[in-house]
Amino acid sequence: MKRTATRLGVALAVASLLMTGCGRDDDNGSGAAPGVTDEPCPEAVDKEKGCIYLGVLSDFTGVFKGVGVPFSEGQKAFWKKVNEDGGIGDYEVDVTKYAKDSAYDPDKHAQLFGEIQDDILAVAQSLGTAHTNAILGDAEKEDIVIAPASLASSWQLVDNVLEVGSNYCGDAMNSVDYAVDELGAKGVAVAHFPGDYGDDAAVGAKVAAEARGIDFTDVPSEPGAADKQASVVAGILKADPDVVLVATGPIEMASIVGGLAQKGFTGKIIGSIPTWNIALLGEKKLVPALQALYLQATSFQTWEADTPGYEAMRAAAGETPPSDWYALGYGSGYVMQAVIEKAIEDDDLTREGMLNAAKSLDGVESEGMLPEGAANYAGDPNDAVIRETAFNAVDPTTASGVKQEVAPFVGPTAKDHDFSESACYEQY
Amino acid sequence: MTTPTDEKTTSFSGHQLEETTRRPRRIWGRPGLVTAYAQDMAFFDTRAKLVAVCALVAIAALMPLQLEDDILKLLATGFVLAIGAIGLNLVTGYAGQVSLGHAFFVGVGAVTAAVLNGDPDGRRLGYGITFLPAWMLGAGLVAAVCGAIVAPLATRLRGLYLAIVTLGLVFIGQYIFAEWREGTGGRGVGRDAAVPTLGDVDLTVNGAYTEEQKLYWLMLVILVIFAVLARNLVRSKVGRAFAAVRDRDIAAGVMGVQLGRYKLLAFTISSFYAGVCGSLLYAADGHFSPDEFNLGMSVLFIAMILIGGAGTISGSIMGAMLLALLPRIASELPGFFPFISDRSTEHPNIFEVETALYGVLIIAFLLFEPRGLYGIWHRIRTYWKSFPFSY
Repeated sequence: MKRTATRLGVALAVASLLMTGCGRDDDNGSGAAPGVTDEPCPEAVDKEKGCIYLGVLSDFTGVFKGVGVPFSEGQKAFWKKVNEDGGIGDYEVDVTKYAKDSAYDPDKHAQLFGEIQDDILAVAQSLGTAHTNAILGDAEKEDIVIAPASLASSWQLVDNVLEVGSNYCGDAMNSVDYAVDELGAKGVAVAHFPGDYGDDAAVGAKVAAEARGIDFTDVPSEPGAADKQASVVAGILKADPDVVLVATGPIEMASIVGGLAQKGFTGKIIGSIPTWNIALLGEKKLVPALQALYLQATSFQTWEADTPGYEAMRAAAGETPPSDWYALGYGSGYVMQAVIEKAIEDDDLTREGMLNAAKSLDGVESEGMLPEGAANYAGDPNDAVIRETAFNAVDPTTASGVKQEVAPFVGPTAKDHDFSESACYEQY
Repeated sequence: MTTPTDEKTTSFSGHQLEETTRRPRRIWGRPGLVTAYAQDMAFFDTRAKLVAVCALVAIAALMPLQLEDDILKLLATGFVLAIGAIGLNLVTGYAGQVSLGHAFFVGVGAVTAAVLNGDPDGRRLGYGITFLPAWMLGAGLVAAVCGAIVAPLATRLRGLYLAIVTLGLVFIGQYIFAEWREGTGGRGVGRDAAVPTLGDVDLTVNGAYTEEQKLYWLMLVILVIFAVLARNLVRSKVGRAFAAVRDRDIAAGVMGVQLGRYKLLAFTISSFYAGVCGSLLYAADGHFSPDEFNLGMSVLFIAMILIGGAGTISGSIMGAMLLALLPRIASELPGFFPFISDRSTEHPNIFEVETALYGVLIIAFLLFEPRGLYGIWHRIRTYWKSFPFSY
């Protein structure tokens, strides 16, 4: 027994020496806060400046790669321009080193966030609603500010999420109000993805339909092309609505529009903002149906908008194919930039400092990139929420394939709705 | 291997031998000589094993002071998967009942733990129980009950038929998990997993030690406990009954082993382990969705015990660790084989290699090393035991 004990002792001693001898690298870089270093960024313009690392959790290969790829490119272009113009204070900003592909899978999203969360100051892009919810708990614990590539109706209720633009729920309310007031609709159907994004639009439409006293039909969809949407099309036709709302991906929306057009549907099909992608113009047979039936509900302008911000963006984009998602990625940078600038101004470039800066922000000068009143996080959630919606129609002659058809308006339902209670999708 | 310290065993008289049959003694230089049944069945049948295992656990316990967080996270996940793999090995490796339904029980565990631990005021169903053993064991118990309900099928069916029926379980489970939005969050959304806390310390938040270090230690401790329990089970009467059922159930029945009872026991205990595994599996990520508990996960567990070694506890752990580290191993390959890319847009890339490697491992082990990693280890051990006269 003595020998065993001795051996065990020796083994333990050797092991502990080995283990502690070299030690692990426990410091979080040379800067004061996680994600802030005194060393220059990997692609620094000015090697004298430090680096602020922002995380990107996007979809480069999944259902919304048509959003994630251009959105991320737009963000890169924005920060490249900021860095070339001298960065922010003593820092430049990097959004490429910690860019991850979660392929629109919330579990992967949470896993990847875990991988990068110790190395980033904030998240510059978290694509997806359920996906952002999946990391929200962890982010809140560590005061990490998140800019979502998602427009759910829950973000104005959360301090550390920097939403921009109107939400799916409000857009759906306005779509129904428009359908009733302008198109004389008596019934509306909603085809939507399962999950927070689709549910948000479905609840908005339901609330508005009930308020306006018209028929409402809920038709759940799921990711997948025509074969998956056949039952959705059948469900819509059975309900025989005058207007259809769609909250899916672009391929699903196109399949639904195609299916309905084939069956002689002549009403309007209004899609939430993620349903449009310029790649759909490649489907030549489908373009006439899209032109005739489809509208995109959004609170953002399109590629060719005549504002200083859009002009600068088009210059920065160069040869990059036009996409409104690129514009959104680019535009979202203004908010993060304002938050970082405020944190530096407060001499507190830490996660807590970023959160405090975000909470005190009551607007941002976005040179016309973001809707009026965007980025008001200091105000009362119900007052700060953006209720405006515009409709874009398909127009193959424009750069991003859509142009504004109906100017921004606020319908009676969205105007009176209290968005400070709870997220719409929670009522599904 | 060790010098007996007891005076009685210093000489080998007949009297002493009699003494040895009652109280097992080691004979110096003859580690393979077993003189008593209790000795044969001992937890550590040789001193070398005891020392080696203690040293291994000690080294494992010190790892977090040395390794980087990303590897610790993989290892911690490996420990949790090992608990599940031990569970599957109990029913499949020891009791011989092929189960493809393991993912279902893991899912039941994950959901139960999340519901028990969930915030009562939160978006999903939650009872706010923060005491870790309570929700972990609760998850195990609910999974065990599900296992007990399914077990009677196993008394009616065996082999391929049982495998197919348990496969059905995965699909039924997926439907229930997807539809029960209150509990699971539904497809494509999911819910927050149970948060491991000890006292007031939230193990998922960096403090004096990082999240990964704390979770690693927690999972290691739990794995050691469950591995010891399983090892004890399989060297008991129950374990011998399992082996008898596996080797020839009719013969076992004739000898007086109650088939129904032991199959029920095997499924229940296996499901308990799966439930515990599920309750902890998503602690690091903090989130899971019901899409996870699919056939792929069941196959992953089968692969773990096939690669590790069916019918061994240590093999289950080795297999689980290997498969948990597989993505990491694949990502290191470009350094050795420059033609493998680490970008998903180029081919062949590490993600493709990882998937292929997974399949190749299963086939290669079944063909060349049916006893799995445990078999390899066993051969190395035998080689050195007879060194330098190994042949």
